[in-house]
Amino acid sequence: MKQTMFVTVVVCALFATTSTVAQDKSALAPPAVISPADKTTIQTFEKQVSAYVDLRNKLRANAPKLSKDSTPEQIHAYRTALEQSIRAARANAKRGDLFRPETADYIRRTLKLEFQGKDRAELRDTIFETETQGVVLRVNYPYAQSAEFSEMPATLLTKLPQLPKEVRYRFVGHNMLLVDRESNVIIDYMPDALP
Amino acid sequence: MRRNFLLALVISATLLLPVSAQRLNNADVKSAPVRLTLPVKDGSVRFAVIGDTGSGTEKQRDVGSMMAQYRVAFPFEFVLMMGDNMYGGEAPADFEKKFSEPYKALLDNKVKFYASLGNHDQSLQTNYANFNMNGKEYYRFKKGNVAFYALNSNYMDKKQVEWLESELSKDTSEWKVCFFHHPPYSSAKAHGSDPQLREVVEPIFIKYGVNVVLSGHDHVYERIKPQKGIYYFVSGAGGKLREGDVKDTSPITDKSYDRDLHFMLFEVAGDQMYFQAISRTGETIDSGLITRKGKS
Repeated sequence: MKQTMFVTVVVCALFATTSTVAQDKSALAPPAVISPADKTTIQTFEKQVSAYVDLRNKLRANAPKLSKDSTPEQIHAYRTALEQSIRAARANAKRGDLFRPETADYIRRTLKLEFQGKDRAELRDTIFETETQGVVLRVNYPYAQSAEFSEMPATLLTKLPQLPKEVRYRFVGHNMLLVDRESNVIIDYMPDALP
Repeated sequence: MRRNFLLALVISATLLLPVSAQRLNNADVKSAPVRLTLPVKDGSVRFAVIGDTGSGTEKQRDVGSMMAQYRVAFPFEFVLMMGDNMYGGEAPADFEKKFSEPYKALLDNKVKFYASLGNHDQSLQTNYANFNMNGKEYYRFKKGNVAFYALNSNYMDKKQVEWLESELSKDTSEWKVCFFHHPPYSSAKAHGSDPQLREVVEPIFIKYGVNVVLSGHDHVYERIKPQKGIYYFVSGAGGKLREGDVKDTSPITDKSYDRDLHFMLFEVAGDQMYFQAISRTGETIDSGLITRKGKS
């Protein structure tokens, strides 16, 4: 088979100079103006998430220790123990505990703005095509391990209320979920989040 | 002229190296001709790239065997994983079937794997010893004159973007390579380019002189025409294939391959980065040289 060798030149220094001028805007868009009411809503939501994180971190202390050099068996034992203890501790959790009506309203408005335009319509389709079969939409139940995670758009994540590292936003169809990052327990979800 | 001749000589000397299974201490590794286009220079940084691997299929194991065979001729030190390291469940048996078994020959020879997370991967893979993620979803490590940035493109939140920008801003490495799952540019029909991710990360890559970006997600091979000075590769068929998925008339494609699984080899020597993409059966799909000029 004939092999073709191509030689190209990366003119890094020159390019960095010119591109810095052209691209001299932050990758993170400046925050939109937020009304005082929305600010209060976000703060309340962040406090509730923080309370959840405090709880799960206490429970985590009782789970088998997990090092950065773990075996699959140790990972499995840790995940199982954390999942079980979170579910037991939050047995009375119900939908809307964290996504309260005002929070859900704020997030829906944010999503509506983010998903405007043709390319965003394509993005929405991509989210809908994510293979999330097997995910039982139920608070305090685990996100099915065999299911795919839809990519959370980078442009959106910079606009939503920021979450601590223990908690993630996820989409399942039109629904937005709050999921524990390590145990995958669904902390809360809101229906009809995506326009 | 003389330099080109010497280069050709080195390549010729490394072509068609016979490989025996015994040398790899793995009876499962099949013999096949190795056709290396990389120069194997003294002191160079050598690594392999695989993406979308975790199917646990016979074909994934074939790729692992072929990588081991090429490693005899091209002793790469480590492997970058583009995510989707584990499809389906992640029980201990899955780690065995979808990772440890297919790459046993490499693991037995102390080859290190550095993983990134895909949309099928659970977060706790970061704590798996053999993925060398040190408990982190995004991290940096350095080999020789090359800095590597593993990113989590499935969840590119503000914290990660700020970390990336902060790390790159103080990075004086000659080469900067970023790798993650979703391709900023891709000509595949199934997923294609990820414009939202690109909108956030590309300005940072440009600003801080990232040279090469590696990704997976689309189950094909594609070398993208340089975009704003950056070389993008899609290497997402290490364990799953979408045959015929690359658009025939894409204006951004320099080279593509969607007929079989593949892996890639890279060699960095000074200002030169050589690459070779190889199919499951050992066929060279693509090869070339990227030359870095100027300061980082």
